[in-house]
Amino acid sequence: MITYSLLPVLLLMLVVVQTTILDLFPLGLISIEISLIVVIYAGFHLDALRGGILSLVLGFFMDCLTSAIFGLYTFLYLLIFYLTMILAERMYGERPTLIAVFTGLCTLVEGLVIVLFYRFAFGADILYTLPKVFLPQAVVVGLLSPLFFRLFHRLEVFPHAEGTRPAQRI
Amino acid sequence: MLIPRKYQSIAVAAVLLIASLAILSYSTIRLSETGLLRKVVLEAAAPVEDAINISLQSLHEVWNRYLFLVGLEDENRRLRKQNAGLTEQLNRYREGHLEALRLRKLLDLKEGFPQRAVAARVIDCNSTSLFKTILINKGTADGLRVALPILSDRGVVGRIIETSWHASRVLLLIDGNSNIDGLIQRSRAQGILQGGGSAGCNLKYISRAEEVRTGDVVVSSSLSGVFPKGLLIGFVTGTSRSEGGLFQRIDVAPAVDFEKLEEVLALIEDKKPKP
Repeated sequence: MITYSLLPVLLLMLVVVQTTILDLFPLGLISIEISLIVVIYAGFHLDALRGGILSLVLGFFMDCLTSAIFGLYTFLYLLIFYLTMILAERMYGERPTLIAVFTGLCTLVEGLVIVLFYRFAFGADILYTLPKVFLPQAVVVGLLSPLFFRLFHRLEVFPHAEGTRPAQRI
Repeated sequence: MLIPRKYQSIAVAAVLLIASLAILSYSTIRLSETGLLRKVVLEAAAPVEDAINISLQSLHEVWNRYLFLVGLEDENRRLRKQNAGLTEQLNRYREGHLEALRLRKLLDLKEGFPQRAVAARVIDCNSTSLFKTILINKGTADGLRVALPILSDRGVVGRIIETSWHASRVLLLIDGNSNIDGLIQRSRAQGILQGGGSAGCNLKYISRAEEVRTGDVVVSSSLSGVFPKGLLIGFVTGTSRSEGGLFQRIDVAPAVDFEKLEEVLALIEDKKPKP
């Protein structure tokens, strides 16, 4: 119970730290989106309900603190979580290379959805951000993701993860 | 349960995704509205963000200050070096100024004599050894020879005892071998001034009857023809009359401080051919 009540606070802190401290690193337009790594980690380790709610809360906080369009990150994180969950049943999610590649691809998917959303909802062409922002961001977040996966595992951020749905090999 | 267990996950996913899409669609249409939950989150996050930003700002300032101090240290080191250089330069200028003053005094002294005068620099001082001599940087090439008188701006220094082409050794008047004819300026009583080592000099052969006072000025008398008449030699520091003797003992302190001697003047009497 304590975990469930503390988790939203921790998630909010994560987003705050992500939007304040990590933005200090001189990476230009690139942001280190740890919240996305959390969502992917949840996709590998949590069930549909708990992982979905976690993604929804995290996306909601991202929307509140960073997004100009409320609900965009909520939808994106849910989408990525369920996409990860579907793929996790078909691949072994403990190999660092696979984690890095998959996280990088998810970052690109996120960028692509944002670009398409702006295109169809507002008629704004921000396609240039894909190679300039989202591609380098995908590389950085992808490279960092194995480390964060190990860290989350060590910290047992998700104490109820075991016994729910371990990563499976095909 | 209405939904079979097998499809529960799909149902949850569908519900959450549809809900999020609905929120997204709603907010896209009505961009300006801020919901209650969003306000709560913003209110909760703002102080934390503020605190973090203040801390980061402080860290940034500390870092900038550190960088400033590092720069300051470099600048300080550079200024210290520059200060040392300037102090050295100032010292050289001061030395030059003092030397010029001394040379001016020597020049003034030189103009007071009919003899030709040659200024020389003291290059070695043996006044602490048994023999009280100094070495000067002028010799026979400059017209110096043995027995010439050597003066400073304060008075008589001694006489040359040996010369080479570009150096000469001067016997100071405080050396035991030095004997200079002198007289007491006030009473005109004449005697021989003999060196007494570091203690000074003794004026000998002055009659017991002669009244000599402490502080009386002793000058050269030119009886021997070495020193011109009237050059300052020293001051009487004490007198004593031993029982049964004809003369009194007179202690004389030289006017010249031989420890601080740097430049001297040699007086050259041009030898005229005898008719």
